[in-house]
Amino acid sequence: MGQDGTSTDVVQVQDVTRSFGDLQAVAGVSLRIAPGETYGLLGPNGAGKTTTISMIAGLLEPDSGTVQLCGEPMGPRHTKIRSRLGLVPQDLALYPDLKGRENLNYFGALQNLRGKELRARVDEVLEVVGLADRAKDPVKEYSGGMKRRLNIAAGLLHRPALLILDEPTVGVDPQSRNAILESVEALSGEGMAVLYTTHYMEEAERLCDRIGIIDSGRVQAEGTRDELIHLVGELDQVRMDGTGDLTAATDALQQVPGVQRVDPVGGGLVCAVADAPVHLAAIVTAASAHLELSDVEITRPDLEQVFLHLTGKELRD
Amino acid sequence: MRALLTMTAVDLRRRLRDKSVLIFSLAVPLALMTVLNLLLGGVSEGDLEPVDLAVSSDADDQLAGVVVDALASTGIVDVTVTDSDDPHADVGAGSADLGMVVPSGFTAALTSGEPAPVQFVMGDGAGLSGQVLVTVAQGVVEQLRGASVAAVAAGAAGLEPDRASQLAQQVLDAQAQVQLTQGEASSEQLSTGGMLIAGQAGLFLMFTVGFGVLGLIAEREEGTLVRLRSMPVRSSTIVAAKALTAFVLGVVATGVLLTVGSVLFDVDFGAVPAVAVLVVAAVLAATSLTFVVVRLARTAEQANVVQSIIALVLGMSGGAFFPITATGLVGTIVDLNPIAAFTRGLGITSGGGGLDAIGLPVAIMLGFAAVCLLLSRLIPNRGVAA
Repeated sequence: MGQDGTSTDVVQVQDVTRSFGDLQAVAGVSLRIAPGETYGLLGPNGAGKTTTISMIAGLLEPDSGTVQLCGEPMGPRHTKIRSRLGLVPQDLALYPDLKGRENLNYFGALQNLRGKELRARVDEVLEVVGLADRAKDPVKEYSGGMKRRLNIAAGLLHRPALLILDEPTVGVDPQSRNAILESVEALSGEGMAVLYTTHYMEEAERLCDRIGIIDSGRVQAEGTRDELIHLVGELDQVRMDGTGDLTAATDALQQVPGVQRVDPVGGGLVCAVADAPVHLAAIVTAASAHLELSDVEITRPDLEQVFLHLTGKELRD
Repeated sequence: MRALLTMTAVDLRRRLRDKSVLIFSLAVPLALMTVLNLLLGGVSEGDLEPVDLAVSSDADDQLAGVVVDALASTGIVDVTVTDSDDPHADVGAGSADLGMVVPSGFTAALTSGEPAPVQFVMGDGAGLSGQVLVTVAQGVVEQLRGASVAAVAAGAAGLEPDRASQLAQQVLDAQAQVQLTQGEASSEQLSTGGMLIAGQAGLFLMFTVGFGVLGLIAEREEGTLVRLRSMPVRSSTIVAAKALTAFVLGVVATGVLLTVGSVLFDVDFGAVPAVAVLVVAAVLAATSLTFVVVRLARTAEQANVVQSIIALVLGMSGGAFFPITATGLVGTIVDLNPIAAFTRGLGITSGGGGLDAIGLPVAIMLGFAAVCLLLSRLIPNRGVAA
């Protein structure tokens, strides 16, 4: 892995900035992605995700800072290196009047694939996204999910070193979404670096080896899921419903090792604890001494809570 | 180069597949040509119609004979002269198109300086030919009056009759040097049918090339421009592919329109190489204009509106719907219109002109292209940047 900035990193983004007039969209973003790594870039709308992706994809020139793909400079003027990039834009980038296979033939040809190699790659990616049997149909006859899958296939044709997936599952049915996520997992397993943006936290938790949370044009935090949760100090929550002496139960729970806070909620109590499964037995024992418990529930912090903690916004804002 | 050809080939395939280019570039202009030719084709062209002229004059009146001979030999109107006792009646009965009454004592009156009014009776069938003959007759009478006045003046000045007669003859000879000949208003003038074919081809060329370059905006709206720009293809290649698509569509559509139009409406546009050069120059001018439109428009809808307005203005002022004649500043502006230049160039080639004769219209069209390309670089981009 290249988390420390080794020469094996597929992408190296170093302190890039970009402004549009008075608006500074990106105020110094740095990130690295290693081969086989899936990096999730999460942020609320207007956080600078799209501008960052545009600079990584070579569509925009940074005002300052550098972007390197496979060790070579990346930007609007660097044409050849783009053959190592596969971009799956958020908006569908397909010709609806062309057939599925014709779309792929066209994009493959522009990626310098020819003849048998092109045909083989087209067949292969059609299988990967599950559209082999609809390849001869015009794209305008596809469902939304099928278009999304073909959109991804077009980015995979040339086996890019980096695949950028910008919210690839927006508006797709659960079946297509699952197919897309499985495809991404398979690609990552084959050694492809993936930069993934999404508004669905469960996708990020399932797919991403590391996650960067971006807001106000800066990466506010970066790491694995557990690292991020630990970083922001989020605690497990143990909720206990029951009847009895809540005050005495609170006093008893505050003596249990690991319990950092006890709050009354509704007719029960909620304990904030560092590692709930480890301390659960002691917590229930202490509470049972003063309460007749009717329900116990553990809630572990997730990325949604981390995101809210870091940005003050819901991910879907 | 391979990417350029690949993109152009796919663009052309898409354009042909959706059939809109076939409709707007071929079917509609051909239909319009047909309708406009039916409406305007017979109105303003063709030879002057023959005229039956009934003449009443004294048989032994010399100068009356001169007038009649002058009308019979204008060279532009085929005149059949018949003697008549009553031209009014003949014209009224339809046996003559035009009647001429030369007063008795016509020669004597002219030579003495007395008024000698010649009367004309215009029939329904006289038309433009009749008006031409009346004008010619008036001119001849004025010539005769001038010669007679010269003779009378010479006599009054005491010259010998023979010398006075010579002077009068000199006056007549001098007048005779001004002759009527049928000719074209301009060596660059197409027939009405040819004008409409050329104008319609030029007008719809403006729409046809829009299927190419304006496709850049459609690519942006379809989202495919972002994907293309993320590929190992230069931005200039993307733009060039659109321009090449426009060029191919423009050349083919205009070539087909001129060919089909010339066959359907019996118009000969002249030497193929010269016509081909004109077509290429016109397509370049039209294509370059779309680069300006791409800069001005934010959406495909805006681009189509702007393109349509420009096409109609250039088309109408270029003679796409009816022949345009203008002088002064307006005339100069019209002359710089690429469609007008294209039409004028075809007029030259249809009149027998070759490559060496079409330099000016070609220069105008290429100059227009150069100005548009320059403008497209200077105008701030409001729409799509490839």
